[in-house]
Amino acid sequence: MMASVANPSFPDYSTQAPKQHMFSPYADNGGSVVAIGGDDFVIIGADTRLSTGFSIYTREQNKLFQLTEKTVLGCAGCWCDTLTLTRILQARLQMYVQEHNKTMSTTAAAQMLSTMLYYKRFFPYYISNILVGLDADGKGCVYSYDPIGHCERATYRAGGSAGALLQPLLDNQIGLKNMLNVKNKTISLERALAVLKDVFISAAERDIYT
Amino acid sequence: IEKIVEVDKHIGCAVSGLMADSRTMIDRARVECQNHWFVYNESMGVESCAQAVSNLAIQFGDSDDDGAAMSRPFGVAILFAGIDEKGPQLYHMDPSGTFVEFDAKAIGSGSEGAQQSLQEMYHRSMTLSEATTAALTILKQVMEEKLNSSNVEVMTMTPDKLFHMFTKEQVEEVITTIT
Repeated sequence: MMASVANPSFPDYSTQAPKQHMFSPYADNGGSVVAIGGDDFVIIGADTRLSTGFSIYTREQNKLFQLTEKTVLGCAGCWCDTLTLTRILQARLQMYVQEHNKTMSTTAAAQMLSTMLYYKRFFPYYISNILVGLDADGKGCVYSYDPIGHCERATYRAGGSAGALLQPLLDNQIGLKNMLNVKNKTISLERALAVLKDVFISAAERDIYT
Repeated sequence: IEKIVEVDKHIGCAVSGLMADSRTMIDRARVECQNHWFVYNESMGVESCAQAVSNLAIQFGDSDDDGAAMSRPFGVAILFAGIDEKGPQLYHMDPSGTFVEFDAKAIGSGSEGAQQSLQEMYHRSMTLSEATTAALTILKQVMEEKLNSSNVEVMTMTPDKLFHMFTKEQVEEVITTIT
């Protein structure tokens, strides 16, 4: 049975024709995540706004998920995918403890997330992930991911809707890039925290989704 | 006949029994180790590796719903020797899939006599060379043919060199010390 297709302005010209239906499985619920790592610490921050188009779903959604005592994951992008991904991660972490009698290390979790994302290579999780934690030596690590699992370890990273605005700011303030006469010293926890707060203020200034 | 095989850089196995069956089990151990590295970017624990092979060994007991039922158990006993963050470990696994950690273990046709000798000779504070000498001495006692560098294999697992198979010369060196 064919559906009727008609242009509302020309009702006399309606015909029987197949009608294409558009269903998009993805939604962009916005949000940004920023992480900064140091010699013996790592901090991660995320906004708490969940939105759709120009509307706000809620102002108070937590986007950071504690995976183990030493690892935290921040997710920005499609919220439904985030919910599922974090639940699967929790399940995998538990299975690991039961099989190997030890909690998953940050580096192991980082690699596992990469493989999990690639499993859905042809129907990806639409999420901008940043995984942070302390590695075996106690050093802070920041792992950033693309939707299909490309993983890169870095000292600092900004992801999500305001990622492109904030990454250059971090490059300058944390990476000390293109600055003359600066001592190449590693950042302290206090300074990193101060920069993180300023970075989100800047994001909120210009990005409507954060 | 190769009876000592590498499973990963930090895990080695000695097998005894039906050699054809042993290939399947060793292959499973190797695949599990590599899969673990692929997913978790870390070395697999020795006990976890033994557990993985054990899971394969007990599959003969499964009913046919998946159609992949085995008709008989694997006729192999395996000694897993490896090093992980808990230190050096030795596990023995029998055809039922049961695996137990040991300080010293002998498997194979001469194992009863050998295990007795181990009971007498072994002590916790043995050095690597003492242990190597002891192992070959015991092997010499239970072997039917005369022990020489072409009919034995020796492998050591140490924190610095990990899996190390002795060369013919190294084996000969140890043999001369025990005769």
